[in-house]
Amino acid sequence: MSEIKESDLPSIGKKFTLELDSNDKLVIVIHFSGEREVFKFTKDSDEPISVTRLTDEEARQIGAILAGAYFQPVIEEEQKLIMKNVTMEWIKVTPDSLLANKKIEELDIRKMTGVFITTIIRGETVLPNPPPHEFIKPQDTIIIIGNNEQIKNFISTFDIKQPVENDRQ
Amino acid sequence: MIVNESVLVLGISLLALFFAGFLATKINQSLTAIFIIVGMILQNFFPVTIITEFIATLGIIFMLFMFGLEFSVGSLVSNQKKIFYTGIYDFILNFPLGLLIGWLLGYDLIQSLLLAGIVYVTSSVIVAKSIIDLKRSANPETEYILNILIFEDMFIATFLAFIVGIVNYGKIDAISIFFVMLKTSAFFMFFIILARTSKKYIDKIIDIDHTELFVILILSVIVLSAGAAAKIGLSEAIGAFLAGLLLSETKQRHRITEVIKPFQQFSTAIFFVAFGMSIDYKHFGNLIPMAIFIFILSSFSKVFGGYLIGKKYALSKKAGLRLGFSLIPRGEFSIILAGAIAMNHNLPYPLQCLTGFYVLLSAIFGSIIMKESDWFTKWFIERREKEIKPIDDSSTMDPHKSL
Repeated sequence: MSEIKESDLPSIGKKFTLELDSNDKLVIVIHFSGEREVFKFTKDSDEPISVTRLTDEEARQIGAILAGAYFQPVIEEEQKLIMKNVTMEWIKVTPDSLLANKKIEELDIRKMTGVFITTIIRGETVLPNPPPHEFIKPQDTIIIIGNNEQIKNFISTFDIKQPVENDRQ
Repeated sequence: MIVNESVLVLGISLLALFFAGFLATKINQSLTAIFIIVGMILQNFFPVTIITEFIATLGIIFMLFMFGLEFSVGSLVSNQKKIFYTGIYDFILNFPLGLLIGWLLGYDLIQSLLLAGIVYVTSSVIVAKSIIDLKRSANPETEYILNILIFEDMFIATFLAFIVGIVNYGKIDAISIFFVMLKTSAFFMFFIILARTSKKYIDKIIDIDHTELFVILILSVIVLSAGAAAKIGLSEAIGAFLAGLLLSETKQRHRITEVIKPFQQFSTAIFFVAFGMSIDYKHFGNLIPMAIFIFILSSFSKVFGGYLIGKKYALSKKAGLRLGFSLIPRGEFSIILAGAIAMNHNLPYPLQCLTGFYVLLSAIFGSIIMKESDWFTKWFIERREKEIKPIDDSSTMDPHKSL
């Protein structure tokens, strides 16, 4: 892991410099306006060889791609779950799902399966730590956390066919 | 009746600003210069009205407030060493130049000091915008440029308060200088200490959801600070600047920027127009050669200073020269300084007109030079590498040459 240097650019924003293993430098500037710029410098050069300008939204999307959130390698359901002890799972709520249009408390998820809903992603909005009286709606994506047994339990109890995202710890 | 006509005049001015500004953005020119030119043209059709004058005053106040707001005391404190050393270099090389020119032009001490400030202070608005437009924000020299700009702005803000304080005091002697300095620093310290210690309370007080009330509260803070500064004989601009500093550390900073920005943009534009209208270019066209002379001289000293700073901080030659070329544009602060005090217009070289031409030249050509400096630096460095002068031996030995 290379070191990331952080410095202030007064009246512009913040600058992050990464020395890559190839000895090139990647510089990311986050503007106060929310815009991002990604510069690549080759070794010893003081002018960038490429500049990419991103809006806040684009930057977030690309960040998620880089972090591996969008890429779904075809892994068997079983294999996915044998990771480590604690797993997070992204679950898309289909309209015919057993979860759809129910309150969290009424589903009694925690008691029945042991997993805990950490977040509900509803279109553009994200609801972290949803209260028990929150409804789960069709098209929501919920993020659940639990150990492998509990997740498996959840998936079988609520008859989930297609968790959306890859798992992570 | 007067008011009615003023409103019409204001409307015409704004429309003219829009079209001129529209053209300016097409050719990537700074709005500052264009707005001044619009003012110069409009003076042929109508005089400066009370309304324009009033809005122009607000323009200075809002502009300085925004400076303060975008100026984080935190980053000033954490980068103070870098800011100080780069800033002092730039100061020593450029400030005395204006003082000297002022003396040669036969100005009195106050006007010479003002000219020194006008020639010294780079426009942070134009330069910061150009850096972003030219995609240079990640370049190695950029941090140094921005640090220099912070030093200059901070210096000029204090300097402005001090000069206005001295002029309002009426006489220049050791006692009055001491007294005004004391007053200025006390005023500054009051705001800085308030910003550092009462952040929590300020945060709580201004945390108002109601947008209208929020705007009114923020405006009252700005105008009150400006008024307080004026009351104790300092410049209103400084009060506004310090109000900005005070609020820059709060959580509401971005929201404040958002609500005040439209006021600032509007009033600052009018401020530049009013300034343009006050430039008597018909009677003082003979000042243009003088302005060109000062422009060339001060550009050289800026580039040279930038080059030295680059050398000191082990930047490459190219980056060092780019640093220097980026410090040429002058703008808003120079204009504020020129209008800071009432002056005798019967001098052979009225400061306000001279500054007008000077700022126009440096704002227009400064941003062009910034953009076009690459081929020049390339040419400059290649030429120096070809004819290896014995004096420059050590510095022209580039690592890639020996490969």
